[in-house]
Parts: sequence; C-alpha cells; structure tokens
Amino acid sequence: MGERYLMKIQRRQMKVDIPSVAMGDIAFNLLVFFVILAQSQDDSHIQWTPAKADNLKGSGYTKVTVTIDKDQKLYLNGQELSEAQLAARIESNLGNAPAGQRKVMLKAHRDCTAAKFEPVIEAISQAGGELVHILEDKKKK
Amino acid sequence: MKFRRTSKLLVDVPAVASGDIAFNLIVFFLVCASTQPDTGRPQMLPKSEQTQQQQQQQDEHLIVELKRNAVLVNGDPVKTNEVKARVIAKLTGKTRLEDRVVIVKSAKDVPYHNWIEVTSQIEDAGGIITLQLEEERTVDVPQ
Repeated sequence: MGERYLMKIQRRQMKVDIPSVAMGDIAFNLLVFFVILAQSQDDSHIQWTPAKADNLKGSGYTKVTVTIDKDQKLYLNGQELSEAQLAARIESNLGNAPAGQRKVMLKAHRDCTAAKFEPVIEAISQAGGELVHILEDKKKK
Repeated sequence: MKFRRTSKLLVDVPAVASGDIAFNLIVFFLVCASTQPDTGRPQMLPKSEQTQQQQQQQDEHLIVELKRNAVLVNGDPVKTNEVKARVIAKLTGKTRLEDRVVIVKSAKDVPYHNWIEVTSQIEDAGGIITLQLEEERTVDVPQ
C-alpha cells in the first residue's frame, strides 16, 4: 500500500481595500451636490421671457427675486403668492440689510401689462428694496 | 555581466479613473453654466410717501404718458425712439434732483417691454422716474 500524502492548501485571504484614490472624487461630488442643493431659490420651473434693452449691467447676488410669468402669476423666490402679501414678504426677506444689499430682482414677462407689474414695483419700493429689472441685451441674438 | 533594469519607467494612467474624471468635468461645466449671472438694469424709485409729495407739485414736472400704442410727453405724441431727445431738451438747465423728476403714467394695458424701453430712455436722459398709479377706492353705497 502506498502512503497517502495529504497536502493542505491554504485559503487566500479575501482582503478588500477601499481604493483611497476615489475618496477625492467622492468628496468633490458630495460638495457639488450640496452646492446645488443650497441654491434654494429655484425658479427654473417658471416660464417667462425677458424684455430687451440696451446698456445692461451684471445684476449681482440677491436674496429676493420676484417673477411675473407668462400667465401673469406672481412668484417670490419661486413660490406663488398674491400681490397683497408681496410687500410684507419682501420686507421680511430683506430684514435689516443695509443699503446696497437690498437688491430685489424683478423678472417680468415681456408681455405682462402695467396693471400687473406696476403694483409689484410699488410693493418693492414700499419694502425698501433696490429694484433691478432682469432684461436681455438687445445685441444678443 | 549585464544587469537588467527591473523598474519600468513607463507608468500607465489607470483607465478606471477616466470615467470619474469625465463625470466630474461634466458636473463642473453644468454647474458653471447654470450659475451664469443675470443681466439687468437697476432703477431708483422714490418711496411712496415721497411720491405723494412730488405728485402735489406735478404741474412743474415733466409728465410722460404711456398708452398701448402711443407715448405722450406733456400731452404731445412722440415716437418711442424720440423720447430720450425730448426729455433731454425738457431737462436742459435743470440741475437739482427734484427738478429732474419725470412722472410716468401708464395705461393698464401697456406691455412691460414698451414700458422698459421708454423708462430706460428717460433714465438715460438723466430723468428720475416717479410712477403715478391709479388708486383703487371701494365706496360703500348705503341702501
């Protein structure tokens, strides 16, 4: 009878390392995600076409945006509201901000009528807002 | 005796990472595109109380009336592109801010793009815009 030799084969250890190179990518993606999320003034769902004008400037940053859409509906920072609520809501949004930081952007649809936009301008003025009409440059095609 | 070099000088870029890099580039440019600043025109309007005081002296001020298809400067019809020249002519020699007030009266059906065109010309001519709004009053009739 021949001798039997038993050989033990050791199992390979299953060691999985998280690739540390990907950490930078993950962190960057998270950062971008939260930056987008922080842009809470999302009014991209509102449909409006800007009027055209010359000599326009960059409007800069503002906390308050009033929009009148193509159906003459009124929005404050993307939320629909009535004309009667507007002045008080703008005032509370602006708080005690000093002059120069009280900009209120007005995005009015090019065909909306004075009956709608003039009371809005008056409300912005009453609330102590510094009005900036958002327009499109005439030269732009 | 010859020794062979053991280390390779050519290092391959890991192909797995190129997907991540492409994705990050897409996200970066998307964010940049979505945060392009808006362009606009600032407009200084006196507060309502001041406006009331100014309206008492409206006989002395230039009045621009906007109708749906017409513009009147102190009652005279003017073409839209001639408003600036007309306002400059009327404001010549007036240096005080209160003398440069231009009262804008708009009919209810005036579209925003017409209003912006005319008020831009007034401001470019050195006028200070004041809006005159029609007041709505509710009157209770006793029965």
